Amino acid sequence: MPAMVNALLEWASSDAGKMIAGLVGVLAFVVVNALLLTWAERKIAGHMQRRIGPKEVGPFGLIQPIADALKLLGKEILTPARADKPLYYLAPTLIFVPVLVSFIVIPFDATLQVTDINVGILVILAFSSISILSILMAGWGSENKYSLIGAIRSIAQNIAYEIPLLLSLLPVIMLANSFSLKEIVEKQEGLWFVVVQPVAFVIYFIAAVAETNRTPFDLPEAESELVAGYHTEYSGMRFALFFLAEYTNMFIVSAIATTFFLGGYQGPVLPGILWFLLKSYALVFVIIWLRWTYPRVRFDQLLNVAWKGLIPLAFLNLLVTGGLLKL
Amino acid sequence: MIQGFVKGTASLIAGLGVTIRAFFQPVVTSQYPREVLTISPRFRGHTKLVADPEDPGKNRCTACGICVKGCPSGSIKSVEGEKREGEKRKTATVYLLDYTTCSQCGICVEVCPFDALAFSRDFHSAGYRREDFHYDLVKELKR
Amino acid sequence: MIEEIKARLPGDGLIEVPFPQKGYHYALETGADKLPDLAALFDEKRFYLECLLCTDYGEYLELVYFFNKHLAPSRVKVTLKLDPAHPVAPSISAVYGSASWYEREIHEFYGVLFSGHPNMAYLFLHSGIDHYPLRKDRVPVPPEDLARLDSFNPCEQEDSFFINLGPQHPSTHGVLRVVLKMDGEYIEQAEPVLGYLHRMHEKMAENRTYQQFLPNTGRMDYLGAMSFNLGHVLAVERLCSIPVPERAQSVRIIATELNRISSHLLWLGAYLADLGALTPFLYVFDDREQILDVLEGVTGSRLTYCYFRFGGLYNDVDDPFIEGTKAFVKRMWSRFSLYEKLVTGNVIFRNRTRGIGTITQEQARKFGVAGPVLRSAGIASDMRKEEPYSGYDALDFTVPVGGRGDALDTYVVRLTEMENSLRIIEQALARLPGGPYMAEKVPKKLKPPPGDLYHVVETPRGELGIYIVSDESDRPLRMKWRVPSFSNLMVFPELSRGTLLADAVAILGSLDLVIPEIDR
Repeated sequence: MPAMVNALLEWASSDAGKMIAGLVGVLAFVVVNALLLTWAERKIAGHMQRRIGPKEVGPFGLIQPIADALKLLGKEILTPARADKPLYYLAPTLIFVPVLVSFIVIPFDATLQVTDINVGILVILAFSSISILSILMAGWGSENKYSLIGAIRSIAQNIAYEIPLLLSLLPVIMLANSFSLKEIVEKQEGLWFVVVQPVAFVIYFIAAVAETNRTPFDLPEAESELVAGYHTEYSGMRFALFFLAEYTNMFIVSAIATTFFLGGYQGPVLPGILWFLLKSYALVFVIIWLRWTYPRVRFDQLLNVAWKGLIPLAFLNLLVTGGLLKL
Repeated sequence: MIQGFVKGTASLIAGLGVTIRAFFQPVVTSQYPREVLTISPRFRGHTKLVADPEDPGKNRCTACGICVKGCPSGSIKSVEGEKREGEKRKTATVYLLDYTTCSQCGICVEVCPFDALAFSRDFHSAGYRREDFHYDLVKELKR
Repeated sequence: MIEEIKARLPGDGLIEVPFPQKGYHYALETGADKLPDLAALFDEKRFYLECLLCTDYGEYLELVYFFNKHLAPSRVKVTLKLDPAHPVAPSISAVYGSASWYEREIHEFYGVLFSGHPNMAYLFLHSGIDHYPLRKDRVPVPPEDLARLDSFNPCEQEDSFFINLGPQHPSTHGVLRVVLKMDGEYIEQAEPVLGYLHRMHEKMAENRTYQQFLPNTGRMDYLGAMSFNLGHVLAVERLCSIPVPERAQSVRIIATELNRISSHLLWLGAYLADLGALTPFLYVFDDREQILDVLEGVTGSRLTYCYFRFGGLYNDVDDPFIEGTKAFVKRMWSRFSLYEKLVTGNVIFRNRTRGIGTITQEQARKFGVAGPVLRSAGIASDMRKEEPYSGYDALDFTVPVGGRGDALDTYVVRLTEMENSLRIIEQALARLPGGPYMAEKVPKKLKPPPGDLYHVVETPRGELGIYIVSDESDRPLRMKWRVPSFSNLMVFPELSRGTLLADAVAILGSLDLVIPEIDR
């Protein structure tokens, strides 16, 4: 018996073991985060609208997300008869892949990172394109006009906003001289990059809100126009997966913003992971705050903002940063 | 263009200010049914027969049928009465009201020559069957 | 101008009619052959077609056209008698766009065939109805007319596909279905399909006494129920010459203006919910709650009021009402800055509504558009100023106008109207006279003298016209409600051509439609 435990511990402290433990931790975190964010969104929305959000289920409505999950599990799973079955079934599962991969490289603390790939940010950006693919699969496979329109809008939007996303992260990479997320955080010891690159931070934030399809950029799921956009035909747990992916995505973009601009896990007194979570969730609060304040931006105006506004500005910022670095 | 940009950003921040201030203000909703609301005295629930001040079981209705004719929806199905000993007019014994078609217009209350009808303040109307709302107002008064 | 018209009509007599009794200034009887020229003449003189209706008199059907001019009221009633066995009339929809739907409505309810009308399909009714409902006798629909009525069939074509906006709609317009022919994201053609909420109020009016019809008025436009109530009550009082005491008039004004504010507030919340901002909806309901509490304290209802009676009010107002109204007015003045910061100045909102759904004055005239939509196009026409009723002429208020006629202008016009309503309430409260709240001698069984009357009030959505034909019995022979949302919706297909779907939703919201009043 003790020999087995010893062997287990030895394996657990090896690299492979740490990776597996990290993955399990990440999965657990994803689920808890999604539950927490659904509750937080409803509570924050409620108080901004001068009402209490959920209050009946559990103290302060904390059990509400679990009640929602149970409800979604119990729903009848309808599949449209003419749906393109492989695409339709694969879309909700595929949307989780970029999310989980992104979690692997995010540094929660100096020692709490599943693995530190030296091209960390490239991995994240590359995999986030897969989520666009899954939206297209969902929209096309549903055989529904509204889903198709929603999917088309979403793809155009995501492609347009990926570019300023990347361009606003590039100055930070240039300043830190590395693609690895851990090193970027380490380089922010004395001064956070947001002070040096405020424009890049704002551009990144706007592009991030657009990437996660949140209001004011939530045209793909415009409730009052298109019923529910690309996830109209999904019911029960499949719909829940889309939702979970959106909330996790919200956290990831905030985590990346924290890592790149707000110093990651750096901070006095409190342990690093607490600072990291504090900063990330503050940005998540801002994203929720934006949703409940602004109306939706129209589709062509959305693309105009991206192509005519954010991209030139991001290029300009990049140019100025590069020039100053050279000098 | 720069001025438009500045004005636009200022408007966005002003909007954020409104919602964040509302976030910290108290809620304006009341948590029904945990909190009980006060109903205004003139609230229009279903109609009821007005009780005679001296004798609470007695009503003023004389089964003249003016309300039956006056109702636009035909909700008052029938009013029957009988002439009791020592009284000049009939007294109502059965007053059938189908509340499911009533629109609370108040015509019956208004045209009654004896002021026998009034609005109740009952807003807890909920039931499982339509027959739950076929009231006999005489019986309701006696309860 | 009327002299010119008189001169251009050889032989026909333009009879002048006493306006206080009839509600219109001139009457003219014409024949089917002269009608198109007459319509062209009115169009040339810049009149608009206010209403088009039909009455079944038994021996003949009578088509009644009301022409009026903005800001220079001179209502002309043109009548055309038709043979009930074979009713055919020329269509004037080529001249006046608004005639198109009125003629469709008359066709399916009375069986009058309008020659030259491009589309005689069902407007409110649906297949399965085998007779003409509003006729007094049961007249069956002949098969060729059935085929004509049943002819709406959107079908697939190359490069465009049809989308249904509604009838189950997340935006709170009511039950409206718009069939959109799309080319990608752009709308080629929009065709509203009505009748999902049709309850035959006009037939009910013929089967109920004037007093029994009162609850129906509130159900037609549930957001502006007080003004519909007021219209009905004022029309019958005018018909029967019942005087109304001063106190009742003032209270009527206060109640109607409170209702107007609450209707505009709901429109604001629903419009922003259409555009994606869900928070102002809740703020608006917070304000409305105060109004609804005040009105509940005096009438007992919160939405579908049945408060006014012929000759006055159902019951008198008390001190809580006056105190509550004063408190509400004070609070509402401070709330406008909140809406200004959150909505009006917001750059996203302005970009969504600036330049969207621009109505020109010519379009407004051709389609008989009414209300804030008309005022946003630049025509300062408000029925409370043009044909004052119930004491509005003693009050001091302005009529807000917009410059461009787009959605942002209708928004600003409605906000300014809310401010004006607050001022009207303050003035009316200040001069609230004592005295009785009900006229003294109101007959129990109202039997108005024979004749017809057209009365107009200003509801939150625009000009409401009530046409009553009385035949001396206690039930009207014909009661026609000319609702503002009906003519406002007619402009929508024109406005939304070539726009994006998101813009179509913004335009539809800016028209402030309440579908139950369209469908009646």
